[in-house]
Amino acid sequence: MRFVRNMLRDSFYRDIVILAIISIVIGSALASAVSMGANAYFSKTLSSLVGDYGEFDLVIQVREETKEDAEQQIQRILEDVFPGAKMKEGPTVTGKTNIFVALPDEFKTKPIYEDLGKTFGSIPGGAGVGFMTEPRLTIRGVPEGAKNLLMERIAAMEGVRFAFRDGGSIGVILTSLDNSVAVNKQIEALLKQYQVIEISFPVGSEPSNPVRLGEAIASDMQNQLKLEVARNVSVDGQNDDMTSLVSTMMELRRFLAAYASQVTIAPVDGVRLLKGDAVVFQGAAPNAPAAGEAPAKENVLVQVTDIQPDGSAIGTITQGDASQLTNLQGSKLENNLVGQPTGAASYRNPRQELGSALNETSKLVGQVPEFAQDAQNVAKIASGALDDYSTGVSAIEQTLDGVRSAGATIQAATNGLAAIDTRALQSQINSSSKAMGGVIGTLQVLKLLQADTNATIDSLTSTQGNLNNINNTLGALSNVTATAHQARAAIDGIVANGQTTLDTLKSFDAEGARANLNDINGRLAQVQQINTPMVASQLQYMAASAPSLKDEDINHSVQLLDKFIAGQVIPGERIQILTDGNVTTDAAAPIVHREAGHNNVSLYSTALGVIEPNPRGEVYRILSEVKAVLAGITAIVLTVAFLLLDHTAIMSAIRRKNLTGKVKVKGWRAVPAKILAVFTAPERRYGMLMGSVLLTAMFVLAGGGIPYLPWIGVPMLGALLGFVAAGYCEKISPIAAEEVMAGEALGLSFDEIMREVVVPAARPGLLQKLNTRKVKFR
Amino acid sequence: MLRINNLHKSFGKVVAVSDINLQVRRGETVVLMGPSGCGKSTTIRTINRLIEPDRGQVLFNGQDITAMRDKDLLKVRKRIGFVFQHFNLISRLSALENVMLGLVMGDMPREVAREKAMSALTKVGLEPCAGQRPDEMSGGQQQRVGIARALAFEPELMLWDEPTASLDPILVREVLVVMEELAKYRASTMVVVTHELPFALHVADRIILMDKGRIVEEGLPSKVFATPASSVGLRYKELIEYQMNTSARTLAGKRIA
Repeated sequence: MRFVRNMLRDSFYRDIVILAIISIVIGSALASAVSMGANAYFSKTLSSLVGDYGEFDLVIQVREETKEDAEQQIQRILEDVFPGAKMKEGPTVTGKTNIFVALPDEFKTKPIYEDLGKTFGSIPGGAGVGFMTEPRLTIRGVPEGAKNLLMERIAAMEGVRFAFRDGGSIGVILTSLDNSVAVNKQIEALLKQYQVIEISFPVGSEPSNPVRLGEAIASDMQNQLKLEVARNVSVDGQNDDMTSLVSTMMELRRFLAAYASQVTIAPVDGVRLLKGDAVVFQGAAPNAPAAGEAPAKENVLVQVTDIQPDGSAIGTITQGDASQLTNLQGSKLENNLVGQPTGAASYRNPRQELGSALNETSKLVGQVPEFAQDAQNVAKIASGALDDYSTGVSAIEQTLDGVRSAGATIQAATNGLAAIDTRALQSQINSSSKAMGGVIGTLQVLKLLQADTNATIDSLTSTQGNLNNINNTLGALSNVTATAHQARAAIDGIVANGQTTLDTLKSFDAEGARANLNDINGRLAQVQQINTPMVASQLQYMAASAPSLKDEDINHSVQLLDKFIAGQVIPGERIQILTDGNVTTDAAAPIVHREAGHNNVSLYSTALGVIEPNPRGEVYRILSEVKAVLAGITAIVLTVAFLLLDHTAIMSAIRRKNLTGKVKVKGWRAVPAKILAVFTAPERRYGMLMGSVLLTAMFVLAGGGIPYLPWIGVPMLGALLGFVAAGYCEKISPIAAEEVMAGEALGLSFDEIMREVVVPAARPGLLQKLNTRKVKFR
Repeated sequence: MLRINNLHKSFGKVVAVSDINLQVRRGETVVLMGPSGCGKSTTIRTINRLIEPDRGQVLFNGQDITAMRDKDLLKVRKRIGFVFQHFNLISRLSALENVMLGLVMGDMPREVAREKAMSALTKVGLEPCAGQRPDEMSGGQQQRVGIARALAFEPELMLWDEPTASLDPILVREVLVVMEELAKYRASTMVVVTHELPFALHVADRIILMDKGRIVEEGLPSKVFATPASSVGLRYKELIEYQMNTSARTLAGKRIA
């Protein structure tokens, strides 16, 4: 209410409000004028530089010194190829002149746009063709291999006239600017459907052929993860010629590198070789390289590519050939001059080894027909042996039956003998013989008595002899029986073994063996029909051709191939797989690990592409930002100026009026109380309020905007400015305290003191100007 | 006319005025004296609340100035003239405008105010300097403009806050003459803070001696300086005697020491 009352009457408070309003109006107008002026200037400059929106379609950059010739050439091309096209010379920036070209509508097509590089490729001093056709969108960051897919999809969208390759990006020409938002949304949705999984290989784990590996991974992902799309987009398309060429080049590089000679240098004591060092050898030169001289063309140069743990260096030959390494003592090359002896070299020449191997192989191939003939002969012999085999088996069978029969006979023969108790018979015969011996002894005695007993004795002696013979015969018979048993057992063993052997022999597939022999025989016949002389001659040719590549040629070729491959955007350490947007890298990881053969890879998911704002639109957007920033900065500057020139005097007066305000608490409570007093001091509150109001109002009215300063920060910044101004108000606008006190003593009110004493003595500003209407003593 | 009851004022921990009680009758000239920092200026400035007292009353014609609203205070201030030690003139205004300022701001017609201002300037002998700005005048002239500014209101009470302290002795005389004239005719009631002993002896109806924020002695000049009851009074007495002796010997042509 008091404020309203003060506003209604002619008070200094009303003066302050009027001052604030006028400050805001003037400040906003100034800030707007500055920002709009700058914006108009930059816009005009931009239009004069690149023409109005959609006025031109192409910008051709040519070197400044050739611009006359280039313009003539461009004019001729336009007349011949694009009749009706217009050309305008634009600004020259950093030695390059921009020439703008407006094409007739019928020439705004995809094929023409993609061929413009070739169309204007012969321009003298030409540095490139850029596109300016509007309305246009640009999609950047699309992998090469995914561009065709994306362009096809985008070209099919409503509102799109055509899509074309614009260098590394995809340009999209719209039918109308009105379609820009809709097409933008469609493309965004399309980009979200897919993703690119990037597979990165760290140094040392790079695949030998990333193209093939990429294709394998993509194929596995599609099959195993049941994906709509999984495509290796590391390079431009699966079946593209360039892919094949690059892949071939990589294989070729690998092949060549495999046949480059590897030199191992064992450094002498005190010499340490490092990767990249060069060592010179005598090579084909008549003399060893002399220290301090430049290496001769005939010398062999070896560049160190690796250092072994034992200090020996591995290198490749960059000049000459391993075959020229007759003198194996080398010297380090220092500053392109031959240095001190470095060490002895040994080398391995894979081409030489290959040549030798091929020579030997060709010799071997020459003997193949004879080997085949010999083998056929052996096969025939084997076939004959198989023929005899069946007969042999039958004979063995018959023999075995005979043996078995003999065994049976022996069994039968020995069975009767076995029934006789030869031992009992022998015992009885022995007893009889002994008894008979006793009788004979008795008769011998009788013979003395009776001479005619001789006959009896002789008869008994003869009988005893017979008995002994029988006894002996019985002993022999007993032995024969035992022997017959043994023979029978032996025959049984022979029969059993023979049967086993026979079974084994019978199990042998003689017919199968015979069929195999026949097959072998047929193949050997085919081998004999091979043109072995031709094979041998080809091998000899290869043997002759392989060593014809010198090491220096191989290494130079490898370097050239490296450059070519690097230029085809196939970084060996990265593979890009275009796939569905819903596949996670975790799902793809096992497939990648399996195909790569190791887990030392990193998988990232990236967007298929990013819609790039229209450059011209971007420039205008930046200009509008600049305009806002300028308005904001002007508002800040004017706020500071108004605060310093007009309001510090008021703050000083308020401060003086409220000097009696003291912090009454004591102890630790005094510290926060003092801090609070600082922020709540009337002049600071006034400063913060006024700074906040002025800056916010000017920001709003002038359309100000400061990057990184949110809208809520504007009044806070204004308050901060007012707070700081209030802190220094008495230094900026000191008031004459004695004069103020005199006014108070005279009974002047605060309003009157401000108008008559303070403001007229303050810094000249808007307040002072406004006060002249109110002051009574000018 | 003026009554001060238990007036107290401190600046932080420093007690400037401690429970002073004072009464000034209409037409009376009261001189406040005391050593520097004893609270004389604070006392006189709290009378019209140029300094807000912490507590106590200041009754002016029965009205409690300390309890007044701002609006009433402004009116009271117009009835109390104040002369400052440092003149406190508005530097951008001429002598005449300085004198007119209070009148014009008090809604007095400009021409009437001009006449009154010229009259006041005439009283202090500065009519010829009416158009000059303060920085074009001497200190004595500036102070006389300050006196004219206070007199122009025809105040009921004049407060003098060491009006000669900033002047050299030659210029002091200019001011004292004016003050003596005002006191002689009892044109208004005056409360004067000064170190000018001759002035005090000459025009004071009552002397009030202050020390350390308190009134230590008061009474007629003849009593206070002749038979002082306080150490401050005693020092003033010794000073008077010293000045008298020195003046007498000097005028007699004798060496002082």
